[in-house]
Amino acid sequence: MNNPPDPVSRDMTADRLSVGYAEREIIRDLSVTLSGTGFTGLLGPNGSGKSTLLRAMARLHPVSSGRVVLGGQDIQRFGAKDMARRVGLLAQGAVPPEGLSVADLVRQGRYPHRALFGRWSGADETAVARAMAMASVTELAERPLDSLSGGQRQRVWIAMVLAQETPILMLDEPTTYLDLAHQIDLMELIRRLVDRERVTVVAVLHDLNHAARYCDHLIMLKDGRIEAQGPVAEVFVPEVIARTFDVDAAVQTDPFSGKPYCLPRGRRVAESTS
Amino acid sequence: MKGVGLLLLVVLACASALLALAVGDQPVPPGDVLAVLSGGEASPVSRVIVETLRLPRVVLALLVGAALAVAGTATQALMRNPLAEPGILGINSGAALAAMVVIVGAGTIPESLLPVMAFGGALAMTLAIYALAWRNGATSLRIILIGIGLGALAGAGATFLSVFGPVAEVQRAMVWMAGSFNDARWPKVWWLVLLGIPAMALVWGMARDLDLIGFGDDLARARGQRVEIVRAGTVLATAMLAGAAVAGAGPIAFVGLAAPHIARRLFGPGHAVLIPAAALTGAILLVLADLAARRVMAPAQLPVGLATAMLGAPFFGYLLWKRRHE
Repeated sequence: MNNPPDPVSRDMTADRLSVGYAEREIIRDLSVTLSGTGFTGLLGPNGSGKSTLLRAMARLHPVSSGRVVLGGQDIQRFGAKDMARRVGLLAQGAVPPEGLSVADLVRQGRYPHRALFGRWSGADETAVARAMAMASVTELAERPLDSLSGGQRQRVWIAMVLAQETPILMLDEPTTYLDLAHQIDLMELIRRLVDRERVTVVAVLHDLNHAARYCDHLIMLKDGRIEAQGPVAEVFVPEVIARTFDVDAAVQTDPFSGKPYCLPRGRRVAESTS
Repeated sequence: MKGVGLLLLVVLACASALLALAVGDQPVPPGDVLAVLSGGEASPVSRVIVETLRLPRVVLALLVGAALAVAGTATQALMRNPLAEPGILGINSGAALAAMVVIVGAGTIPESLLPVMAFGGALAMTLAIYALAWRNGATSLRIILIGIGLGALAGAGATFLSVFGPVAEVQRAMVWMAGSFNDARWPKVWWLVLLGIPAMALVWGMARDLDLIGFGDDLARARGQRVEIVRAGTVLATAMLAGAAVAGAGPIAFVGLAAPHIARRLFGPGHAVLIPAAALTGAILLVLADLAARRVMAPAQLPVGLATAMLGAPFFGYLLWKRRHE
């Protein structure tokens, strides 16, 4: 039961997934395959089911029908800790208890690696130190959480999921509430994790241009359905953006990064497309 | 560092216990107390006073204080609210109703069953709240709301009995409900030893889980915690602790709230250290409160619940004052 997750089992598939809260279905009969490598951005208007999809795929939210398959196995079959050694999810808006230090918080990421009454091990200590170094929060280790800025706090949360040492990382709006400089810092950090540490990242993002610049793949969601998915160059086109967001936009190529970016022109005028 | 602090608390607890054994209507010199405890030479009078009269009372106060403090620590972690205390889980109201039934309905139920009934009432109440709060899992908010509702209902039941019960019996019930060690005997100590100590060990064993669940269900679940099992285990252990405390001494306010607060201030929020620290703090608080209750109006003995309540009011004032000045 304590086998480390198979390193190749990163392909995640949602198979005819329906997810909802009480009476309201957010996601209906959705099928999608997440790329086993790289950085995938999940985009869509408010209420399109991005967070719900992410939570269902990390098994944080029960599905009403369909299933999620990871490395060939239904995720319902994994034990709770086993699942948390495969997929690390950072949801938004968690509030830490009062009086904790940065290191206290990052250590929580080691929970799925420890046996019921297992002691804190050297491997745990190494993982925490590594995670804090990757997220550049090592100097903050002993600081109380209440004393941090928004950007620092977000990096500390990221360090916690990194300490979990999962091959797949899911981030729900990691850049929300950060100023521009900190948003860029965070996107660069995610890029480094993907390129150097070979972590597979799936993130709900709001800023289309950041997504186009840093992601490898994009998934566009609308009304609980997949509107488009694929490499950035294929998905990040005016027609798809118009269909997904109801916004007319021009897409051009950034001469500095060579990546596409979009300029919204206005709300889409009602017309018969297709 | 923290180990030294804990050791200091142990020393302080022993010193308070020694003080409580020595002081009384008939003072016993601390040397004699130690002699009696170690089985050495002591006058027969000292031996009777210390061994028969004061020792069960002091041991009971130590254990009840520790049990209430650990129950309070667990409740505060579970509810993510530093002002939570085991009373939220309906323990006191359930126990009070059961005690009222036993005392007022005297004759139908033997009074020797009072601790059993009080414990049963506390446990039944907690289970009822937990079961009613369950909707695909029990959230803290639902537990609190249903706890308030059922607590009011049990309170109404107890009031009903007190209105129609015989006056003398009702008065005895009121004294019981103030919480007191006047009737401390060894069988009551065994309650705490048999139920309280395993429950304390269980809570301490879950220290890491309590650290994590304090961040919220979602975050804990995403770290691979089986949140419902941790919550159910904690609620059960808390009900056992507070139920055993109520069975031993009646409902005692404030210790379950204040001891974790004081320990958190001294040792920080990590439960591995916080739980033993809170247990020791609670033990010291209650032994000293009981000593005060015995001596303030001597030879009359106040219920210890009165002493803790009188300590509690200024403590709340201090919390308010501190919040305003932060």
